[in-house]
Parts: sequence; C-alpha cells; structure tokens
Amino acid sequence: MVEPILRVHDLVKHFPGSQPGETIHAVNGVSFDLKPGETVGLVGESGSGKSTIGRCVLRLYKPTAGRIEFGGRDITTIKERQMRPLRKEIQIVFQDPYSALNPRMKVGNLIGELVKLHTDLDAAARRETVTALAARVHLNADLLTRFPNELSGGQLQRVCIARALATNPKVIVLDEPTSSLDLSVRAGILELLGELQRETGVSMLFISHDLETVELVSHRILVLYLGSVVEDGPSKAVFANPSHPYSQALLSADLPPDPDVVLDRKILEGEVPGPVNLPPGCPFAPRCPLVRPDCNAAKPGPSVIGEDHHAACVRVADGTNDIRNADANAEGDIHKKFQDQFIGRTS
Amino acid sequence: MSLLEVSNLHTHFISHDLNNNLRIAKGLNGVTFEVDKGEVVGIVGETGAGKSLTAMSIMGLLQPPARVVEGSVRFDGNEILGLPAEELNKIRGTELTMIVQSPLTSLDPLSRVGKQLVRAQREHRNISKDEAWAAGVETMTTVGIPDPERRMSAWPHELSGGMAQRVLIALALINGPRMIIADEPTTGLDVTVQAQILDLLQGLVRDRDMGAMIITHDLGVVAHYCTRICVMFAGSIIETGPVRRVFNDPRHPYTQALISSTPKRIAEKGYGQIGGPPPNLYALPAGCHYRDRCSRAAEVCHTSPLLQEIGAAHHARCHFATESSSESATVQHG
Amino acid sequence: MTDIAVTSPADPGFTWSGRILGITRRSPTFAIGFLIVALFAFVAVFANVISPFGAIETFSSKVLLPPGREFWFGSDGNGMDVFSRVMHGARFAFGIAVPSAIIMLVIGVPLGLIAGYKGGMIDEVVLRTMDVIRSFPSIVLALAVVAATGQSLVNVVLVIGFLDAPIFTRLVRSEVLALRSSGFVDSAVAAGNPTWRILFVHLLPNAIRGSTAMIAVRMAWAVRISATLAFIGVGIQAPTPEWGAMIRQGAEFIISGEWWVALFPGLALVGIVLGFNLLGDGLQDLLDPRRKATGK
Repeated sequence: MVEPILRVHDLVKHFPGSQPGETIHAVNGVSFDLKPGETVGLVGESGSGKSTIGRCVLRLYKPTAGRIEFGGRDITTIKERQMRPLRKEIQIVFQDPYSALNPRMKVGNLIGELVKLHTDLDAAARRETVTALAARVHLNADLLTRFPNELSGGQLQRVCIARALATNPKVIVLDEPTSSLDLSVRAGILELLGELQRETGVSMLFISHDLETVELVSHRILVLYLGSVVEDGPSKAVFANPSHPYSQALLSADLPPDPDVVLDRKILEGEVPGPVNLPPGCPFAPRCPLVRPDCNAAKPGPSVIGEDHHAACVRVADGTNDIRNADANAEGDIHKKFQDQFIGRTS
Repeated sequence: MSLLEVSNLHTHFISHDLNNNLRIAKGLNGVTFEVDKGEVVGIVGETGAGKSLTAMSIMGLLQPPARVVEGSVRFDGNEILGLPAEELNKIRGTELTMIVQSPLTSLDPLSRVGKQLVRAQREHRNISKDEAWAAGVETMTTVGIPDPERRMSAWPHELSGGMAQRVLIALALINGPRMIIADEPTTGLDVTVQAQILDLLQGLVRDRDMGAMIITHDLGVVAHYCTRICVMFAGSIIETGPVRRVFNDPRHPYTQALISSTPKRIAEKGYGQIGGPPPNLYALPAGCHYRDRCSRAAEVCHTSPLLQEIGAAHHARCHFATESSSESATVQHG
Repeated sequence: MTDIAVTSPADPGFTWSGRILGITRRSPTFAIGFLIVALFAFVAVFANVISPFGAIETFSSKVLLPPGREFWFGSDGNGMDVFSRVMHGARFAFGIAVPSAIIMLVIGVPLGLIAGYKGGMIDEVVLRTMDVIRSFPSIVLALAVVAATGQSLVNVVLVIGFLDAPIFTRLVRSEVLALRSSGFVDSAVAAGNPTWRILFVHLLPNAIRGSTAMIAVRMAWAVRISATLAFIGVGIQAPTPEWGAMIRQGAEFIISGEWWVALFPGLALVGIVLGFNLLGDGLQDLLDPRRKATGK
C-alpha cells in the first residue's frame, strides 16, 4: 500500500460573510488522499468549495478545522515562514493565466523566480534551467525575453506550468487550468500535463467544473456540492454509474460536443444556494428530486457503491437513488422549492 | 430572403500607436452568413476570431477605434449598416435584440427589474405604464421566473446569476423581437443552470418563429441547440453548414482540430493537432490565415482559398475542402 | 471588443519624431504640460548662464524701474533685476518640488504597500494615522511646523513631503487591494516569495503606475504651498529669489503702482503649477488608454 503524499482529513473552511455575524460555509468536512503519481479530480459548480480546498491545501488559506498532511507532516496550522520551504514541493496552476503572472516581469524571470527562491544556483545555471523548463513545456525560447502581455493564453498557461514544475514538486494543484483557454489550446495543455505526470510522477489535484475534462485526466474524482463530498470513486466508476442524485443531474446536464448523442436529461430546478445557511441534513436535499423526510434529519454518511466508490445519499441503501425514477411525489412541491431557491437571497 | 443577411463584413481597428504609426488590426475580414426564421445559428471560434465583433458590428455597437470599413448587414431585407442612431434604434432593441455576457453587470444596478422592463417598452412604444407593467410580468413568466410580480420589484443585485440571465432574456424579448443575438449566454453559469437557459432560448425560437444567433466557445452548446454552425478564424467564417454535417464531416483543418480537441474525442482517438497562438491581426499572412498552424499547409495555401461547396449548405474555406476528410483525419491523428 | 486579443504586433519601428507625434496625438495635454515643465527645468538648470544679472545683484541707483530694455521685468525695491530673480526662482521651485515628492513617495508608498497587503490591524492603524495627518488644514500644519522647527528650505521640504505622504499611501493601498484579487499575488505567495519580495518586487511595480500622474500634481501643490508659506513670511525669506517671497516683497508696491515686482513671479508660479497639473492629467491619459479613445 503506497502512502499518500497528501492527506486531507475532515477539512472545514469558513469565511466571514458580508453581513456581520454571517458565515460562509465554503468547505464542510472534506476528506481525501492523494497518492504519488495520481490525479484526483475535484468537480463541482460554483459554491462547491473546490477552489477553496485547493487553496487550503497550499495554505493560501488557513483551514478553520480539520487536518492537512503533506508527506506525513501536519501543515494545517504552520506559519507561512515554515510553509515557505515546503512550497517547492507543492505547487499550483491557476485558472486565469492572464492574471496569474506579474505583468511587469519577463517570462524568463517569471519561470526563473522559483529556481532563484528555492535553489542556490548562480545566474548562469538558472538561465540554463529556465531554458530547459521552457523546452519541457514546449515554449519557444525566444518568448523568454518577452513580457506576459505579448503572449497568448495558451503560451501563458505553459509559463505557469513551467513555474509550477521548476522545483520538481511532488504535488501540483491545478485550479481550472483550461477553463479560460480556447478549445483548441486546451487539448495541448491537457496533453502536456499528462506527459509531465508520466515523466515525473507528480501527483495532481485537478479542480474543474468541466466534467469531460476531469473524466479525461483524473484517476479518481470527488463530486462536491456546497462544500461537501457527495460522491467519490474511481473516475471510470463514477462516470459509468453516478450514484448520488446530484452527480446524476450534473452528468445529465453535460452537453457532449457531438450532435449524435441523444441527451437523456434530468434538469434540476433552481440554482446552487449561497453557502451561508446550509440545509441541516443533506446539502442537496432542497434541490433533490428524490428528497424524502429523513434527508433533512442528518447529513448522510458515505454509502458504499463499489470498490472505493461511495455516495453520500440515504437512498443508496434501498437502491432508490436513480433520479430518472423521480416520480410525481415531489411535483406538488416543485413550485415552492423553486421559489425558495431564488428568493432565498431577498428574504 | 433571410431574416438577417450579413455579407462581406470587414471591421478594422484603426489607431495610432505611441510612435505615431498607423496601426490597423483586421478584426473581421469578409464575414458572410445568414440567419433565417426558426433557425439557431451557432458561431464558434477562438478568442480574437471575431465572434463578438461580428455581433457588435451588426448591432451598430462598435466604439472607436473599431469601425466597419466594408460590407452590408440586411435585416428583413433592409440595410441597417450605417443607419443613424435614431433610425437604428427603431430596430435595435425591438425587432433585433442582443443578450450580452455577464448578466449581473449588464442590468442597470440602480433600477428595479420591473422599472427596467417598463422603460425598455416605453422607449420604443407609446404604451401606458400599467400596460407595460402587465407585459413585463407576462414576459417574466415566459422566461420561467417564479413569482414574477414579486420579482418585478427586485433589485438586480438580489438576483442570482441564472435569474439575472433570465431577466436579461426577458428584457431582450419584451418588445417582441424577430431576431435575437446571444453572446455567450451561458458562460459563467453553472452547468445545471446553463441547461435551463438554453432550453428556454430554444423553446422561444421555436414558439415565436424567431431567428437566433448564439456566440459560444462551447461545442456542446452548438451540437445540441443550434441548427447551423459557423466556425470563425481570424475574422472570417472558414466553415459553415448544418450542425450534424459539420460535426461528422468537418472539412476545414481548423474545424477538424477544434472537434478533435474535445475531451471525448481525445479519449477515443488520442491527442491530435495542438492549437497555436492566434494570428496577428495587425499582420495577417497573405493567403490562408490558418496556414501557419495547419498540418496540411502546402504551396497553394499562399493564395486565399475560396469558400468551397461540399454539400447542401455546407461550405469550407480551404483548398483541400473537397477532398474526403477521412484522409485529413489520418494526417492529424497519425 | 474583448474579442480582440492582439499579441506581439510586429513593431513598425521607432523614431523620436514619431514617438513625439504619437504621444502628442494621444494626449496633447501631456505634450503641453511636458513642454512647460521642461522649459522651467531648462531655465532652472541654466539660470546662472542665461539670466542677464545675478539673483541678488543690486543696482542701488535703479530701484523700482518699470519693465524696459535693461530690466525686462523691471527692478524691485532693492534694485534687483526681477527677470533674473524669476529665472533663479525656478531653481527653488524644483528644489522644493523634487525632493518633497521623493519624501512623499519614500514615506507614503511602503506604508500603502504594507497596509494594503497585510490588511487587518496594520491597515487600520496606518489608515487612521494618515487620516489624522490629512485632517489638519495643511497650510496651518505646515506653518506651525516650520515656525517651530526653524525657517529653512530643508524644513519646508520635509514638512511638505510628510503632509502629502498619505495621498500616496491611499493610492498605493487601493491599487494593492485591487491587485490582490488578481492572481499573481497568490501565485507569488505560492511560489514561496518572502513578504518583502512580494511587496517590492511584485506589488510595487504594478501599484505605482496610478501614482505617477499624482506625483506631478503633488509637485504643483508643493510649489504652491512653499510659495504660500514664503508669502506669509514663514520658511524662505527675502532676498532669496523664491517666487512666494518675491510676491510678498512686491505686494507692498502694488498699491503704489509698481505692479511688476509681484506680477512676474506670480505668473511664473501660475505657469509652473499649470505645467505640472497638465503633465499629471496627460500622464493619466497615457497610462490608462481606456479613458480615451485613441483614433480620431
């Protein structure tokens, strides 16, 4: 059994809300392990807490509760000063490469920055490292003397990846690395990431709202809703047999870029509510077409679906968790539920 | 005669840089397409391809230094390009409307939703406030807003993203348009909400026999909600045709690259052609603009390719467009 | 228009004349302001060479002569050439404006960086302190401080620099707050940058842009307030050829009809303040091209 490089246990992150006394429950008890050479995908819509988890793991945020272990070491509450040397081991690539790079620094210096901060190499050796890194991410060397605003989005994201790779990290958090890129450029970035993982064995935490991309790159995935894991398991298993009603709805709302695929959709009503007042039980209960009274009693624990595959739904036990079978039982309530969703913010 | 006929539209950005050199960025280079009643045309392309610029040019919303330098836009048979603002406003916002990106910033933050709906009508028609209010409630119902009477008195900041997008659609519909241009109508919305909005749009087009043009970078949206697709590259439409035909038999290498770079196709066939940096609109190469990124580029590509007819209503701007695509597909994935 | 992302346009070439025309086309305000300030700077540097007489060279027989062939701007009550004195006065204008601007920046900018980046208590303390400084009527505070600490040019410069530092603290702080939400600060933290590098390598070059236009505007203010102080008799004293002191000197003679003693230093003061202000406005246009459409 391989020891995980990153272990997140019961992570909780709250933020103060805009009103005094209000709390935003961004992450509410998320646990997962990341093994060496593995890619774990975090999927969810806005407000699911997926980016917050990524930032907690990097200690850009201080977790409210829970434990984060990196390489066996508890980093949950350590000071930035202690965290700093660890930063060469755990890196991040952000969603928007246009804003993630200091516009006043040249590309070569941006890539070289991490080498400068974490190694004792002299200027010449650093330059060599930077050139090698640029080659590894297939970035033309003549771009190294340019400023970020002279590069395209895809090129900039390669710069970000080169930065993340510069210190041979053990873990890279990828926070929606392709969402702000054009389709034809996305594929190149995904291919590069796969290539780098094969070469270096780096573990990746891949955060995305795009199901198809996550399916393509992840070994395991976690489906998040309102800061909780509603389903987790091997990527193939979750996509073949989504078991939580939310995962099913999410998958059914996906639009495959192929006109010949017949959509079998179960469109959810309403929207993800704001994470200020959480439902007492299952976070998905207010939108769930299969809701029943005990859903609101307590937050359901994970039920086993298959090997390493769990869904946090009370209906899994008796096999009534398929939303396509949602009948008219909730119909009468739909209008009211719909209203609660939307009007929640005004009243 | 189609509802909207855009032909040979050229839009340039003309300015002087700090060295006083005249700089011209050729944003649109002869865009030609039509949108008919009951039809949803999807416009796809990468950043800088000119998707939004096309919409802005049609709507007469260009700001300097952007300027239409050539071409024609006919709505219902009448030329609307270069109409004075007063004339244009008789069409714009009534018969021809637009839904823009980022719904939350597109609503007037200082007016309640209802007031905006009333104002949008009274700007164009002689109608009493009560009538306009009633029409507003009705439209809010049409776009699937629950409890519309109450929503009418909501402030824009009280709306969620999906709700704001519905209000924006309501605003676009309030004067009974015949043609709607939606610029990335679901970008930034959650997947589950995206489906609701697109279903709504599609239903409206069908029920009211409107024409619609959806600008998107999401091929999934085009595949399932559009009848026809226009693929743009460097300010030109390089391939157009019925959605199913183009997806199954793309003829332009760029379209082929685009379709093969979706995760599903990658999972099936592996990584194909890698996209390159967008072409420099200040110095577009002579001949085919895709040449530098194209795996099939040959000597002939130094001359501009014409739009070639491949099949019924299916055209591609490539010298090799009439050759079977299976051949080029092997070039790509091999 | 967001659809157009033009990358690395082939540079069609740089020439000085082209650059000058290009800047003038984009911001005539900047060009005019720059011209005025450059003219005064030239005069300040070469005052010794180009002025016909010394700044305190007296011609006791030629007191209060009206502007004429010998004394272009006339002569003052001590028989000194007003023209030469106005020219030398430019040295004091820059001698006050430049060092006090440097002091404003040296005090104001780091405080703004730290307050904006650290937030919380540090931010509160810095902001409130700055509020206190700004809430005094600056002229009164300057008067009191200069009167208390001794009347020298150095003190005037120090006081002006100190009084205006809060403006840059606020400007830089708000820039930093805006930059924090853009990703590169997070990415600098994630890279393992120590705080000082984040502040001075990453934030400073990006946060200072908005302040450059303000520097020119505050230089105008520095010149004006030092002249005001001199006019009410605090700070620089006659016969130093400082414009404020000269106006004070000349004010006595206005009633008796010798207007030129006060008028010409006054005009010089108006000119340089206008120049700095135009320069500031123009810089803003140039640095933020979205404020102005470029092609006409």
